[in-house]
Amino acid sequence: MNSDEHGRAIDLLLQRDVEGIADADGQWLEMHLQECEECAGFDRALSGAAHTVRSSTVMASAALVQSTQMRVHARAEQLHEQHARVVLIAASFCLGVVASTLTAWVWWECGAWVAGKLGLPSGIVEPGVLLFWLLPALVIAVLMVTYPPALFEGSLVQRYMKDDSRGL
Amino acid sequence: MVAAAFSALAVMETEEAQIAAGLRRRDPDVLDALIEQYQHRLLRYLTHMTGNRAWAEDLFQETWIRVLEKGHQYDGKSRFATWLMTIAHNVAIDHLRKRTTASLDEMRDPEDAAPFEPVATGSSPFDQAAAAEDRVRIQAALEQLPAIFREVLVLRFQEQLKLEEIAKLVGIPLATVKTRLYRGVQALRPTLGGGAL
Repeated sequence: MNSDEHGRAIDLLLQRDVEGIADADGQWLEMHLQECEECAGFDRALSGAAHTVRSSTVMASAALVQSTQMRVHARAEQLHEQHARVVLIAASFCLGVVASTLTAWVWWECGAWVAGKLGLPSGIVEPGVLLFWLLPALVIAVLMVTYPPALFEGSLVQRYMKDDSRGL
Repeated sequence: MVAAAFSALAVMETEEAQIAAGLRRRDPDVLDALIEQYQHRLLRYLTHMTGNRAWAEDLFQETWIRVLEKGHQYDGKSRFATWLMTIAHNVAIDHLRKRTTASLDEMRDPEDAAPFEPVATGSSPFDQAAAAEDRVRIQAALEQLPAIFREVLVLRFQEQLKLEEIAKLVGIPLATVKTRLYRGVQALRPTLGGGAL
């Protein structure tokens, strides 16, 4: 008997219970186990290990299940709120971009008018007026990119539920 | 018989597809039903994985939160149980990695010496006591196993996962799954006494 046969027997034993093995392989395995005490011992140990693992009973308590469901509900609500906010912000952003594009010419002309009235070079005043008009939106955009999590944190109620479910 | 098997497969596919659709919608009712259905299996797996009931309960909750958040990634083509265990495995690994001072096998609460309740069988009180004692001893041996062996044993014998499913779930080659199973069983062999259960 060589090591290939032992290896094949171990492979078949490992597959037998869940994947199943072909009839021919099963017959070969039975013959091998009758002749090989080492593999037969492994077979018994495998059955014993399976029995041991299956006999351990770990049960989840009703309180654990309930608190988990509460946390999942709270988190689902939070995610829905986040999603709604993201949609709102995206829509606002798109409207802002469209409005900016459409009115940029107006503000540029406005800068030229102011420059003409004050007698200042229009090459400085026109971009200045445009920048002054766009500055608040740029600042808000930078702040949102820099600190996005602060906008989407869960409510105090949700935090309370999370702590409560952990028994804090 | 083939038709019956095909029909069962079709039903399973429908169920998995329904679960996938529910998870994509982040439907709390679907999640409630899944939590109810998989509560014991998931907790059992996490308890075996960490060797600590309290941690397992924390990870149980984290797993379901992760299922909610990542639910859109489940395509409904594979078994939900396997996908769930993959999520649980990742959550547990993340948790264990954070605790860098302890190894996987040190994750055991000293006061939680008997987290598993053996099922008592036997015809007489003496037999029952002897059987219970045997099982406690063997369970203790199982708990002493390194977590990497314990995990594959649980996935194989309790969850009835295929070797390839375990490989995919744990993220290791198929040959390594077989080696871990073999070595896990071999490590239990002296305690099992040649399978005298």
